[in-house]
Amino acid sequence: MKDLPRLAVLGMAAMIMLVPYVWMLAVSVKPQDEVFSASLTLLPEKWALIENYGKVLRTIPVLTFVMNGLIVCFGILFFQLLFAVPAAYALAKLNFRGREVLFGFVMLGLLVPYQTTALPLYLGFHQAGLLNSYTALIAPFTCSVFAIFMLRQFFKALPDDLIAAARIDGMGEFSIVWRVILPNAWPAMTAFAIFSVVAHWNDLFWPLIVIQKGDLYTPAMGILAFRSVESGDDYGVLMAAATLVAAPLVFAFLFAQRRFIEGVTMSGLKG
Amino acid sequence: MTRLTFSRRQSLAVIGGAAATVAMPAVVRAQSTEISVHYSMPAIFKEAQDAVMAAFVIKHPEVKATYFNPTPTYEDGAQLLLRNAATNSMPDISFQGLNRLRMFAERGIAQDLAPLLAKDGDPAKLGYSKALLGLGFHAKVQCGLAFATSNPISYYNMDLLKKAGITDAGSPTSWDKVIENSKRIKALGDGNEGMFFRWPGDDWMFSSLLYGHGGRMLNEAETDVAFNGPEGLAALKLLDRMVKEGGMPNYAGTADLQAFAAGKLGQMFRTTAQVRSISNSVGTNFQLQTSLMPVIDAQKGRLPTGGAGGMITTTDPRKQEAAWKFLKFATSAEGTTLMTKNTGYVPCNQLAIDDPSYLADFYKQNPLFQAATRQVPLMVPWYAFPGQNSVRVTQVMVDNLARIAEQKATPEQVLADMATEVRKLIPRQG
Amino acid sequence: MSDASPAIALGSATSAHMRPRVLFPDIAAGWFLTLPAILAYVLMILLPLLGVLLLAFTDYEFGSKSFNWIGLENFAAMTADRTFLASIRNTVVYCLFVVPLSIGLALLLAILIEAGARGRTFFRAVFFLPVVSLTVAMATAWQYLLHPSIGPVNVVLRGLGLGAPNWLGSSDWVLISLGIIGVWDNVGFNLVLFLAGLTTIPRDLYAAAEIDGAKGAWSRFTLVTWPLLGPTLLFVIVITMTRSVRVFDTVQTLTQGGSNHASEVLLRTIYQEGFHYFKFGYSAAITLVFLAIVLAIMLVQTRLIDRRVHYG
Repeated sequence: MKDLPRLAVLGMAAMIMLVPYVWMLAVSVKPQDEVFSASLTLLPEKWALIENYGKVLRTIPVLTFVMNGLIVCFGILFFQLLFAVPAAYALAKLNFRGREVLFGFVMLGLLVPYQTTALPLYLGFHQAGLLNSYTALIAPFTCSVFAIFMLRQFFKALPDDLIAAARIDGMGEFSIVWRVILPNAWPAMTAFAIFSVVAHWNDLFWPLIVIQKGDLYTPAMGILAFRSVESGDDYGVLMAAATLVAAPLVFAFLFAQRRFIEGVTMSGLKG
Repeated sequence: MTRLTFSRRQSLAVIGGAAATVAMPAVVRAQSTEISVHYSMPAIFKEAQDAVMAAFVIKHPEVKATYFNPTPTYEDGAQLLLRNAATNSMPDISFQGLNRLRMFAERGIAQDLAPLLAKDGDPAKLGYSKALLGLGFHAKVQCGLAFATSNPISYYNMDLLKKAGITDAGSPTSWDKVIENSKRIKALGDGNEGMFFRWPGDDWMFSSLLYGHGGRMLNEAETDVAFNGPEGLAALKLLDRMVKEGGMPNYAGTADLQAFAAGKLGQMFRTTAQVRSISNSVGTNFQLQTSLMPVIDAQKGRLPTGGAGGMITTTDPRKQEAAWKFLKFATSAEGTTLMTKNTGYVPCNQLAIDDPSYLADFYKQNPLFQAATRQVPLMVPWYAFPGQNSVRVTQVMVDNLARIAEQKATPEQVLADMATEVRKLIPRQG
Repeated sequence: MSDASPAIALGSATSAHMRPRVLFPDIAAGWFLTLPAILAYVLMILLPLLGVLLLAFTDYEFGSKSFNWIGLENFAAMTADRTFLASIRNTVVYCLFVVPLSIGLALLLAILIEAGARGRTFFRAVFFLPVVSLTVAMATAWQYLLHPSIGPVNVVLRGLGLGAPNWLGSSDWVLISLGIIGVWDNVGFNLVLFLAGLTTIPRDLYAAAEIDGAKGAWSRFTLVTWPLLGPTLLFVIVITMTRSVRVFDTVQTLTQGGSNHASEVLLRTIYQEGFHYFKFGYSAAITLVFLAIVLAIMLVQTRLIDRRVHYG
């Protein structure tokens, strides 16, 4: 078959890509004494699936971490869309004085990675007594200039007649946003949603700074904390924890692949 | 004429009042005081803390103690406390590395325990010997109570040593012998390593070599470094030999623990604190033996005391009382017994050490734990650098030791650089 | 595909040909609708940015009651700070390693995937997996793989008679190891972007090129693919660079900047100085340097795009 060399190369690359996953799963079901003594064999002599995963579920609140991850990611997403959709619409379809200036600030915001504002934000939350709270985890990300930019691009492409018709019907701008624009913005919104959730699920830098209470740990922090508890004693258990915490997003991805890919390509290509 | 009788209402009031007074203790007991506890190194201490907590809850139901999330290392623990001091969210009790208590005493974060101790009578009767109290006495204040003390010991994989043809293994009495053994184990190949001396992390193990040669960190007045003398140079040269001749690898993080448990590391030198967890990891993989550190200078040699001490940060009198109950229990004969059995640390209560009913049997049945206790006469306090930059000082020392471990600099160069850099970080007096 | 297809988004910086005929003027609505976003922006982005700018010229330490204005002292201190200099050097080296490799590999894999019909979805999913996997968790898996004595990688290497480097412990190898993990992390993301770019290249162009005499795959690539991928490529380069310069998770999890600062990177230094040593002023100064680097990357991109637009 002509396709064979291509498939062979891709296959090899894919295998290398999957090596960490394969070993993560393999080690997560091995008992402590087998983890390093026979590191090349994938299948354990003695299965420790129940012991390892059981120990993880008993010792660390994996569910809490995942819950926190969900609360934080969807909390952020909710506010991001809440603020960005009307703003993007206004910047795209309305003509008002100062519009270009506002858009200039949006562009400026795109240049600034969030880590640069960490120090004063921390001081601010400290003064307000809001450290160690969901607010501290969610608030800094509520204005996503990226969302505004991307949605603006998208809204500009929406036909004006749609909006004109709504205006004729007597709708105010506010209703237009939520009743006319929003339903038509679905693809762009889901694309951005995926981009945002992936970015914030993975985030370690900011939670590390503002959270010290275990019950507010996000998934990334949870694993970091667990690493120090296990401290190289039982890698099997550590891998089981890593698997459990990484699983939700991986499953979501495998389930809705197209959406994820679209999210990246759409949100990525701002030209 | 007034009749000296109580009206019904009045008598009811009196009876009610009396009843209330009798019922008062029960009411008070029902109001429990909440305190928060923080400790570091959950890998070592989690079981011990859990055991202490479980026993404490039974003895003192009126105190509700909860744990802050434990920090991975003593350094992180110190940083957590400093950060939380600034945000007024400190844990009421914190178990800090013994060398950090000084910093917290200097900053007024650690409360003076002397008045609380005084209330309970003679501390010696409770098992707090002068030496033990001394470990927590800094800046003229009893700022903490030693909870767990350790010294460095040797761990040996007897099977691997035997395989390398070493028959008199188990307690080599000199570093020369250790390095010699290491060479032979490494010659076995197949990824086997001969030795690992745990110099990364902080300055503790380096100080064991320094003190072993009879040296000291800073001079008496603490105005200048004193480790850059012949003792310090000898210590660094020894480290250099471990790498050059013994083939010591540059393990990062916990890689040495993993290699040891898998049977690939012959000799390991680290704190006794992990005896319990290491013997668990080793399991039945091979025969594990612990022993004293090789002796460098029989007269002047000393060993640093590692470990943690509990300090109280809260100033609220009610919380202080509750916190004191917890701290006292944790360092009592019963508490320290629980701690010892679950870790590898040396007990911190004289009663537990002297009284056979506490630990005598335990040590008989667990010979691995004995090495540390036999080194107790050599223990000196873990040195606490003065000033604001004490945390950075230990980092600077570790960075410099790495240069020797990777053979990127000579002991002389490293000693000079270390002295210069540390000098810059200690407060200038006068 | 719909109007919002990647192709159109890709091709136009401003959708000039789509400008609506009538723009409804409404100042009140305009400002009203943007108000929440403006408030969030000012509070969470603008003011903190100004805060960093101010902090960088002070000696403020977290927890202290007062601070002094020290002008450029922080920046002067940086030039003598061994850790900071290592940090800049390592971040640059890491980027130089990760950017070309992850882009080259992604392009190659994207072309291979596009070249045939079988297994496209499967391979795309496999390569994209690292992007959605929790970095800290996968770093832990890598740590196991790269254990110097007993990790599978070294066991295999030793079995093959090759050396078994101390991947994460040795200051010579640590950046390479982190770089490998970084490439592994980024390939999928770039791959997907390239795939999108490749699908927009019209098939007829390849046919035309073949008619014009472009025989082999290489000439097809150089004559058609490469030029038309230009904008995508540029974009991918910038994205990968900014992602690389922001490396933090793997370093914090695996090496904590070791050994002896051999893997110290900018974001970690900012974190350490600020939240470990409490030197907020100094950390803010380093943050400004970091921001300058990011801006520089963006600036170069704009220049190059301009050149392409005018001459390309």
